[in-house]
Amino acid sequence: MSKRLFIGVFDNEGSTLAAVRASRQHGFKVVDVYAPYAVHGVEEAMGLAPSRLPWFVFAVGLLGASLKVWFEFWTTAVDWPVNVGGKPFNSLPAFVPVTFEVMVLFAAVGAVLSFFVVCRLYPAKRAVLPVSGVTDNRFAVVLEQTDSTFEPAEVEKMFKDLHAVRVEEQITGETA
Amino acid sequence: MSGEKKQYWKTLAEKEGGPEFLRAPAEELSVASPRQFRRRDFMKATGFTLGVAFATGCSRAPVQRALPLLSEPEEFVPGRSLFYSTTCAGCSAGCGVFAKVRDGRPIKLEGNPEHPLSRGGLCATGQASLLGLYDSQRLQHPLKEGKKVSWLEVDRAIQAELARVRNERGTVRVLSGTIPSPTFRAAIQEFLRGFADARHVVYDPLSKSALLDAHAQTHAMRVLPHFHFDKAEVIVSFDADFLGTWISPVEYTAAYRAGRDLGSRHVSYHVQFEPRMSVAGSKADQRFAVAPGEMGLLVTQLTRRVARKAGAWFDESEPESASVTPAFLDELADRLWQARGRTLIVCGTNDSQQQVLTNYLNHLLGNYGTSIDLERPSLQAEGSDHELERLFGELRDGSVQALLIAGANPVFDLPGGEELGDALKKVPLLVSSAERIDETSALAKYVLPEPHYLETWSDTEAISGMVSLRQPTVHPLGETRTLVETIAAWSGKPRSSYDLLRESWKAKIFPRQKKEADFETFWERALEDGFAEVEPGSARPQPFNVRAVIPVLHAQSLAANSFALVLYPTVAMLDGHNAYNPWLHELPDPVTKVTWDNCACVSPATAGRLGLADGDVVRLVTSDSKTLELPTYLQPGQNERVIAVALGYGSRLSARFAKIGPQWIDALLSVGDNGLVGVNAAPLLTLSLGALQYTASEVTVTRTGKQRELASTQTHDTLTVPKRLTPRGSGPRPLIQETSLAAYRKDPHSGVEDHEEKEDLWPTDHPYSGPRWGMVIDLNACTGCSSCVVACQVENNIPVVGRDEIRRNREMHWLRIDRYYSERESGQIEVAYEPLMCQQCENAPCETVCPVLATVHSEDGLNQQVYNRCIGTRYCANNCPYKGRRFNWFNYAHDDQFENLVLNPDVAVRSRGVMEKCTFCVQRIQEAKIEAKCRGERVADGAVGTACQQSCPARAIYFGDLNDPTSQVSKMMADPRRYRLLEELNVRPSVGYLTVVRNRPAEGDERSKEERHG
Amino acid sequence: MAEAAIALRPPLIDGDKTITEVTHDVCAPMEARPTALWWSALFVSSSLLLVGAIAIVYQISVGVGTWGLNRTVGWAFDITNFVFWIGIGHAGTLISAILFLFRQRWRTSVNRAAEAMTIFAVMCAGIFPVIHTGRPWFAYWMFPYPNTRGSLWVNFRSPLVWDFFAISTYLTVSAMFWFIGLLPDLATIRDRATAKWRRKLAGVLSLGWTGSYRAWQRYEVVYLMLAGLGTPLVISVHTIVSWDFATAVLPGWHATIFPPYFVASAIFSGMAMVLTLMIIARKLMHLEDYITIRHIERMSKLVITTSGIVGLAYATEFFTALYSGSSYEQFVFLNRALGPLFWGYWTMVGCNVFVPQLLWFRKVRTCVPAVFVISILVNVGMWFERFIIIVTSLSRDFIPANWFHYAPTRIEVATLVGTFGLFFTLFLLFCRFVPVIAVAEVKGVLKYGKPRMESAHE
Repeated sequence: MSKRLFIGVFDNEGSTLAAVRASRQHGFKVVDVYAPYAVHGVEEAMGLAPSRLPWFVFAVGLLGASLKVWFEFWTTAVDWPVNVGGKPFNSLPAFVPVTFEVMVLFAAVGAVLSFFVVCRLYPAKRAVLPVSGVTDNRFAVVLEQTDSTFEPAEVEKMFKDLHAVRVEEQITGETA
Repeated sequence: MSGEKKQYWKTLAEKEGGPEFLRAPAEELSVASPRQFRRRDFMKATGFTLGVAFATGCSRAPVQRALPLLSEPEEFVPGRSLFYSTTCAGCSAGCGVFAKVRDGRPIKLEGNPEHPLSRGGLCATGQASLLGLYDSQRLQHPLKEGKKVSWLEVDRAIQAELARVRNERGTVRVLSGTIPSPTFRAAIQEFLRGFADARHVVYDPLSKSALLDAHAQTHAMRVLPHFHFDKAEVIVSFDADFLGTWISPVEYTAAYRAGRDLGSRHVSYHVQFEPRMSVAGSKADQRFAVAPGEMGLLVTQLTRRVARKAGAWFDESEPESASVTPAFLDELADRLWQARGRTLIVCGTNDSQQQVLTNYLNHLLGNYGTSIDLERPSLQAEGSDHELERLFGELRDGSVQALLIAGANPVFDLPGGEELGDALKKVPLLVSSAERIDETSALAKYVLPEPHYLETWSDTEAISGMVSLRQPTVHPLGETRTLVETIAAWSGKPRSSYDLLRESWKAKIFPRQKKEADFETFWERALEDGFAEVEPGSARPQPFNVRAVIPVLHAQSLAANSFALVLYPTVAMLDGHNAYNPWLHELPDPVTKVTWDNCACVSPATAGRLGLADGDVVRLVTSDSKTLELPTYLQPGQNERVIAVALGYGSRLSARFAKIGPQWIDALLSVGDNGLVGVNAAPLLTLSLGALQYTASEVTVTRTGKQRELASTQTHDTLTVPKRLTPRGSGPRPLIQETSLAAYRKDPHSGVEDHEEKEDLWPTDHPYSGPRWGMVIDLNACTGCSSCVVACQVENNIPVVGRDEIRRNREMHWLRIDRYYSERESGQIEVAYEPLMCQQCENAPCETVCPVLATVHSEDGLNQQVYNRCIGTRYCANNCPYKGRRFNWFNYAHDDQFENLVLNPDVAVRSRGVMEKCTFCVQRIQEAKIEAKCRGERVADGAVGTACQQSCPARAIYFGDLNDPTSQVSKMMADPRRYRLLEELNVRPSVGYLTVVRNRPAEGDERSKEERHG
Repeated sequence: MAEAAIALRPPLIDGDKTITEVTHDVCAPMEARPTALWWSALFVSSSLLLVGAIAIVYQISVGVGTWGLNRTVGWAFDITNFVFWIGIGHAGTLISAILFLFRQRWRTSVNRAAEAMTIFAVMCAGIFPVIHTGRPWFAYWMFPYPNTRGSLWVNFRSPLVWDFFAISTYLTVSAMFWFIGLLPDLATIRDRATAKWRRKLAGVLSLGWTGSYRAWQRYEVVYLMLAGLGTPLVISVHTIVSWDFATAVLPGWHATIFPPYFVASAIFSGMAMVLTLMIIARKLMHLEDYITIRHIERMSKLVITTSGIVGLAYATEFFTALYSGSSYEQFVFLNRALGPLFWGYWTMVGCNVFVPQLLWFRKVRTCVPAVFVISILVNVGMWFERFIIIVTSLSRDFIPANWFHYAPTRIEVATLVGTFGLFFTLFLLFCRFVPVIAVAEVKGVLKYGKPRMESAHE
């Protein structure tokens, strides 16, 4: 079914932040907020759950490290042990540096890839902007009409009070 | 041939096998007649070289059978080496060698341990002489007026001309160097017999004429005595470099070392008086840098003192005092007198008066018959400079119709080569038999190509009664023919050198012995041994003739700002007949460490006064206004009034080396402005007073302002921690650890700085269950003669990189000899040699840092280098405290396909960008291990010998299994004198060194603790 | 908190910009035609690059012998340049990661360029480990891959292998870090671009970034993650580089002080290089309002701090040598200060310890030309530091018979010049096609639109 969206367009982070807070107080559903840069405090205002990414990254890093330790041990002490400088076949201390590097590599690559996946970012993806300029100098707060009590005029007024540049109404097939 | 004998002569590895092993394969093969077999198989094996021979335009029938050491057919297993016993012809010393023949081509020369003179050693020149065989610029066919012709043609033409000369009763002369071959000598006499006025003139470019003349005066026989340095407890040498270049260095070195064995009661005491630093001088216990003009005076001074003790006659007039303190001379005289009969005085100058005085000294001390043998004199030099003078006269007034020059190169190595050249042009029939086109043969109407000595039958009588045989190890590679054969051909009955040799032996040598009744057995035995001992020549010395003795009362005075010039031979170049040999040009001189050049050596003090530095080109002008331009080299321990210049350089034979080594935008040529390697100093010699004069006084030195950086592998300013940079309280680095005999007798450990074994961080990680290879080098025995360096180069296919690369400190020799100077309070310069190769460390720093595991440790303790895995980061070399590793900076050329025949098939030729280093001759170790494995035994001690060890005339190198407590090397490792280099790093090297022990009873415990310097 | 500080402290960006202006100021120069100055700069740097390329081709085809190395000095220019460039490569990550963790918000106007510099520097550095080998075509053998040589692996005990992993990891992570930071700006370019090709290109690269806050939230997390990982990484990389020497037995290399010493040196040289480039960039792209004198001052302070650490390290080395009682060790340092390469040593001390002291004076710190000169001198000094460490230790080690001097050939010099060519060519192209300043981040630190009283009680 189609959706009815109200978009408040602002030109500074202060008003945007206020608008988000106000909308939540009025009990409107804030679908999303668009900003040219990461405005602090919005996530609290929107009430987004904290990301679970760090845990994932930690796991991947650990995996990389343990894989590498095993590989180094297997190659130097098991697969083809050779006497190098009279040192023990399993020279564990010498394995530390590479292990660390590989851990970092795994963790970093894991973090970035998972970010792309979760945010569905991929090359040449078509970007759908709610209003133009949100990557430049505009801020957009997108509300959705959830029930009949939803009063467009009220929304309009609320945004205007918070010095919205303008308020747009969109009827779309899909959520933004 | 007895089984025992047979067993000996197999390859060193098989030698251990014992008869049953040897017999087994023999039985398997049904041998019709051993003779047939030998022949066919030998030809099979020589097939390869035949191919080469054809390639080089040869079309001759195979040689007669040459007798391998042991002739079971299984010897011709491809890839298995054969050892033929023959005699080296690098110089006239005639050392016994085994030619290691692989698939029909000689690839290495090894000293023959049974040879009574050389005793298994071989010098650098001898080692390198092998390359001459594969020299692509060797003469391959006869030349007439420079054009290639057939032997038939040449023979006809020469025979015709000789006939004419014979009929005209013209004068015929043969000019040659000393010919130690009785057969050859006889052949020449045979040749000359037919002519009315014919004479054989013999000269030595490094003349010993005065020494022979002196004996003619004092003992009424013109011979070179045979010196026994092992029988001497006190050795006094007046400018005789008997360990480097004088007469028979290998033999003397072996004897000298025997006489200095620390185990024995008497360790010889060696005093050297010489103008420049020679190899012998560098080993002396007391050494004095004496101007050549003073040498005679010194001999006189010493003779007077000894004569006084002996109560013998000596001229009463008082000689002026010498620079050496009378006190020392007195002390020396005492020691000589106490040890009379067990001393030896040698004099290397070519001045008969001094030689006579020396003889008198030896006579007074009763050395004749003990340390000096006139009964079995040496035949290693018999040149007469008188004769030479006469011949020159004849040549000048053009009275010589026919001159045959046999192997000599007078235009190059004699003074006045220019005029001589013109004179030679006047000779109607000038025939030269030579291996290469040199300065002389270039002038000859006919040039007869001589074969290389490894291609022919011949013999050598180095010491009267000690005749060694030379047998071919390979089919002649060119259309060459020995002069002996040629003369036979001219005489109308051509025979092979083999038949000629047998004839002359049957006729002359065989009768001189009693042991064998039948000639064949005698011959076979001689062939196997490589030599035969027979009765010496008949000549007997007369009682000493005192009237010949005339003292020298005054030193030659020298004008204020002029110098004495000393012309000397180097270990590598000798008289220059080896100038074709790149190995010898690349070999660092034992003392100067300069390669690819000769230079004007001056003492540092003099250089300081003249404001000269290394590489400043100076012009030397003699009193008779001959000039020479050479780069300067600062030589410590040289007399301040002396300029020393090496002979044998600037030969036309070295023109070929212009572009040797890598060629790239910044590369320099290996030759000088004259297009040759070095400058020929022979023109500065003088032939006067019936002797070649190797010294000239009144020489002036002027700077030319030009520069020529010398390619030296050790520049003296890098031999030291400069005073300015020496941390307070730190002495010299303990690289050479030395002591005095007195101190050693008190405590054998004396001089060893660090006794206790360092403990290992991982003691149990890599136990060595099997053998563990190790090496010990006796620094006291090592004379720095550098034969090991060349031996290593031959064995391991080490490339020649040329002058420019050496100048850039990129020499490739796996084994180098560090030479250290130190100064005593007396101002005397002391020298110590330290052969240094990869130390095969147990905890090798190089291995840990290689990213690709290209250098790892073997289970028998070797530090292995995997060439094909190496990517050339050079990290290993950086991390090697000994800098024992060598890097292939370029693709070092092996372009000369013919020369490549010398390569050892057991050793890979390394490509560009790869690290390489000493492997303890791992290929030899493997061979021995395989042999041992076939018999299911451990590798026996002595079964493996590294190339350097085998070649060392002083037997200074011990190699073997450290895990075998009975092995010689283990015993040496346990020797109290043993120390390791940079012990404190605890990289646990497998190479040990034995301290230098100086025989200085006078100074007791004195040790030169001063900072080492050059 | 930060906002409050901003309110009181002088602003990070001059000219009281609006976010609109920011976008315009940064993107306009890129969209305009390149200036003559830019063209000439590009010409110079690319011709230098060509010279280097020729030198390398010649060297690889003929042999490492075309360098001045010898059997005593096996490394010199090659590894010196390698360490030098890696060192420079450290400032970028430092500014992006470490300063980010320390909430140094002034970094926002320099981090983009600094990170770019890092990547280019590491690329320059990466050339040398490959071409310095005798057989560069086999350099890949350093990587442990299953092979037909009896599954022959690499030697994980060798610092060179550690290097291989460290450098490649560092390059990858820095590149990712850079790209993530670039993402929102690419979107900005995409949406304001007039040129079709630019819109297309930016469209592909910006991965469909919309600025949706759900993305922003995770973006922040990832950025923090990368910063957190980058910080130990940047330290580990130069530590490992220092182990190339510290694990060797050579006196003058074998020193435990090397890791901290090298890391400090790296930051030191990196900072100096950032200064050099920033001063060039702000001129070239007219960014005086963004890269303000205060930025230059702050970085100067970092320079003088690290200079202090480096100076201390020099002193400590001498003390350790003296205290060790090892005559070899003591000799090496006497030889550095008084030996044949004394001039190199004193250049290094002069440029790295004495010259930076000038930065104590505010007058100097705020005088752009002065800072520019000093920043260049510092890098000269840092190059010599590596040269002295490597060459003096090698050329005169344990056995005097081995001692030999080193002098570079023209091939080597050309190669070094070439890397500078590569570095500046890449940087100039970067200035043209990528926002030199992190637009999104700068917008975040503007005073513009920050609600007053909120910031007061926050």
